[in-house]
Order: sequence, then structure tokens, then C-alpha cells
Amino acid sequence: MAAGVDCGDGVGARQHVFLVPGYLKDASKMKSGLMFVKLVNPCSGEGAIYLFNMCLQQLFEVKLFKEKHHSWFINQSVQSGGLLHFATPMDPLFLLLHYLIKADKEGKFQPLDQVVVDNVFPNGILLLKLPGLEKLLHHVTEEREIDNKKYYKYSKEKTLKWLEKKVNQTMAALKTNGVNVSTRVQSIAFFSGDRVSTDKEEDYIRYTHGLITDYIPKELSDDLSKYLRLPEPSASLPNPPSKKIKKRKKRLSVSGL
Amino acid sequence: MDLSELERDNTGRCRLSSPVPAVCGKEPCVVGVDEAGRGPVLGPMVYAICYCPLSRLADLEALKVADSKTLSESERERLLGKMQEDGNFVGWALDVLSPNLISTSMLGRVKYNLNSLSHDTATGLIQYALDQGVNVTQVFVDTVGMPETYQKRLQQSFPGIEVTVKAKADALYPVVSAASICAKVARDQAVKNWQFVEKLQDLDTDYGSGYPNDPKTKVWLKEHVEPVFGFPQFVRFSWRTAQTILEKEAKDVIWEDSAPEDQEGLGKITSYFFNEGSRVCPRASHQYFLERGLESATSL
Repeated sequence: MAAGVDCGDGVGARQHVFLVPGYLKDASKMKSGLMFVKLVNPCSGEGAIYLFNMCLQQLFEVKLFKEKHHSWFINQSVQSGGLLHFATPMDPLFLLLHYLIKADKEGKFQPLDQVVVDNVFPNGILLLKLPGLEKLLHHVTEEREIDNKKYYKYSKEKTLKWLEKKVNQTMAALKTNGVNVSTRVQSIAFFSGDRVSTDKEEDYIRYTHGLITDYIPKELSDDLSKYLRLPEPSASLPNPPSKKIKKRKKRLSVSGL
Repeated sequence: MDLSELERDNTGRCRLSSPVPAVCGKEPCVVGVDEAGRGPVLGPMVYAICYCPLSRLADLEALKVADSKTLSESERERLLGKMQEDGNFVGWALDVLSPNLISTSMLGRVKYNLNSLSHDTATGLIQYALDQGVNVTQVFVDTVGMPETYQKRLQQSFPGIEVTVKAKADALYPVVSAASICAKVARDQAVKNWQFVEKLQDLDTDYGSGYPNDPKTKVWLKEHVEPVFGFPQFVRFSWRTAQTILEKEAKDVIWEDSAPEDQEGLGKITSYFFNEGSRVCPRASHQYFLERGLESATSL
């Protein structure tokens, strides 16, 4: 779907093109049904755009597909840049973890509204509105109840166990979808003549760990690596010999349509 | 000559033919092959065959078919009319190759040059005559390139037939002259009635001869350049003349598969994977995202 977002900088509304799951269609029609918010990226600590479904209280991360020299034709207008955004469901626990780990520096049990406090990204409090929050927190914290109020403390042991489940789930999904996880970097569109058809289990675990690392702080990623007993990377496969593109190609592609 | 099929769709190729005279199915026949419109930068190229029984060659000659280039347009049309009138012993067929087909063949990723296109078209027409039941025993072909190799190739394709490829064959053999007339009439008509797909304003139909060294044609080309889309499909983009004008007058194009040296500011992909210094975060995304050209959206 394409939606106009007025940046208020007088340049006119810039249009963005999004690919979102079909079940968001109803929410998108309601005023403020879908909200784009800037929250903290749990890996980098910097801001990133997330999508909130206010109706069902779901969190989506926003990825963008960017290549040079693209534009969109949207009805009668042209939008330069040609970016394509994807909104995909994301486990909000990753975001909550960021705050829990930070708060753990104080070493105390704290109520959630004290933990998820962010002056830089105030929209973080939206996370507190998520349904089933307590159940989620169970995976990564120790909990105490005093006078009907809940207090939480980050638990590394529980978190690592939870992350291991994530790793297994992700690995299964990668296998089902036939994603190439070999250590050789290659383009999705590349079909290798000498295709290594059996990616080793070790490759899968390493790849999945790497993928999840994009969603957790570095220290936790290192701990997870030890927890999963990831071996040191084996000697990488040699790359195929590069093809020399002949100079003459330049002359042919310069002119004409 | 009914070119209405071409007028409907002038982006590909179109074949026209006369009915096969009965006598051509019985008696041994000679086929002449010639073309028109090979050199111009505008309009289609037409390949034509003309055939008649060996026994009636004298009658064909009596029609005074001569080198089509020496005849005027009206003389050619008159002669074609005569051939069709006396159609009980003369048959013809032709292929109109649109400028679009010529351009896309010559500019394709797998190059299909004009000579190959021409030879294949000629071969196709001769085969067509055979398929239609013409009793072909001799073929005479006019050539632009080297006659020896061309003759050898054609002879190989048609082993039971005597093939002669010669320069200026249209002046030597009446069947070739007749084919030349068919081709020229068809080309002239196609050019005159060209349906411009492009909705052009102020279309000037005075483009001279269409040959690249004709000043009138050059002026016409310059006046009809569109900075993004180039020329109308009437123009052969693969012609050096057309390309030169595009280089000067049309927008520059950056092609995605240019050699890496041409692209500025493209970091090496390996730089994402080696530990450069002691970077903790921010770091580049995981291989999964990099391979798919995905990154986190940090602003809208």
C-alpha cells in the first residue's frame, strides 16, 4: 500500500510504499489504527522505525529494500527513491530485553514502568500496552510480587534458554524455506554451478545465531554463542575464480535504447 | 499490395504472398531473391522472392523488368501490376522486417547481426516457396556481402537446388529484377503509410530518402529525438547515425551492468564481513539481509 506522509518541511507529501501482511488491512483503514513509531533498536541502541497495530497491539519491524536508480509511479505521480518498505511481525520481547538489561545494572527488582523509561524514545511506553506482557516477561526475568504489584529482574540464564528456542525455531524456518546459509557470500539470484547441496548443521546454527544477533545487544550475543557452543568458524570455502569483464562491453552499452 | 497487416502491427515481421500459379507447381521453376531498404536508417527492410517456370523466363523478360533502382516509383508499381495481371505464371512472396525487429536483433544481448538476419530471411522465403509446392530447381540471389560464403551456406541448406549468389544479380537475372521490384514497392508503401505508434505532435513526414547520409533525413532525426525514449520505432536504433544523435541529444543512461570501475562509491562487500577495528555496534546487518538488499528503516 502507498500512503502519503507529510513531512511538514514544505516539500510536499513524500509517498512511501509498504508491503504489509494482509490482516492489517482493516487497521490501516482506521484513523490511527497503524502507527509508525521510533523506538530503540535493541542491537545498535539507535533509533529505528517500528509499526504498531493499535487495534490488536502487535509490533512490526520495518525493513527497507533500497537500490540505486529506482522510482515509483504511483497513480499519476512519480516518487523518486523507489524504496520498498516491509513490515514484518517482531517479537516485542527483544525490545523489552533492551530495557531490562539496561535496568539490570542497578541489580534490583523493579516495576515495569520504571524499567521501560526512555527519554530518547518516549514511545517505548507503548510496549507496556502489549497484551500478554507478563507471560512474555516470564521467559527472560525473575519475578517477585509484593502487595499485588509485580517486580522484575533480568535473568541471563532464562534469556539464554529462550534464545535457544528462538534459534531452533529459526533454523527450522530457514531449512523449510531453503535459505542458503553457507559461509560463501553469494547473491540470491546467483545459481552456482557447483552447488553445495547439503549445508552443514554447523552452518545453520552459526547463520541463525548471526541472524538473532541483529536483535540483541552484543554482549548477549557473545554469551549466546558460548551457550550454543558455537565452534570457531572453519576455513571458508574458496571463492570461484572471478570472471574478468572485458573492456569492450563498455562500448556496446553506452548508447541507444 | 495489401499491407494492412503491417499497418496494424509494425513492430515485428509480416509475410505477404501471391497465390502459387498452377504451372509453378508442375514445371521446374527459377526463384529470384532480392531486398529493399537495407541501408536506410528509417523504416522496414523488405526481402522478396519472385518465381516463374524456366520455360516462361522470356515472357518475364518481355515485361521489361529491369534493375528496380533505375525505375521510377510509378514504373515499378505499373510493372508489379502487370506481373500480378499475368499472374498465371509469376508468383511472389515477401517478408517485411520492421525497424524495431532490426534494432532489437542487432542490439540484443546475443547479437544477431544484419547479415545473419538477412540470410535467414532469404532462406526462410525460399523454404516457403518449397513448402507452398513451387517446383524450385534454381535460385538466384542478389548479395551485398561476400557471394562465395553466402552461396555456400545457401547451397548447403538447399542441396537439391542450383544456387547462384552474385552481386548486382538484379541487373543480370529477370527473376531477381522482378523480386527487387516487389521489395521496393512494398518498402515504399510501408514507409508512405507508416503508422506511428508514438503520439507525435507536429509529425513531419518529409524525411528525405531515409538513408543515413541524406541531410534531410539527418535533420528529421535530430528533430524527432525524445530525450528519454530516443526515437520513434520508425527509426533503426542500431544504426550508427541514430546512436550518434542519441549520444549528443538524449539523456545519459547509466546501465546496471556497467563494469565496477564505472560505479562510484560502491564499497566492497567483503568490508562488511571482516572485523574492521573493534566495532561493536553499529554494524552492518546480517548476511541474510545484505544478500536481499534489506536494511533497517531508521526514518520515514
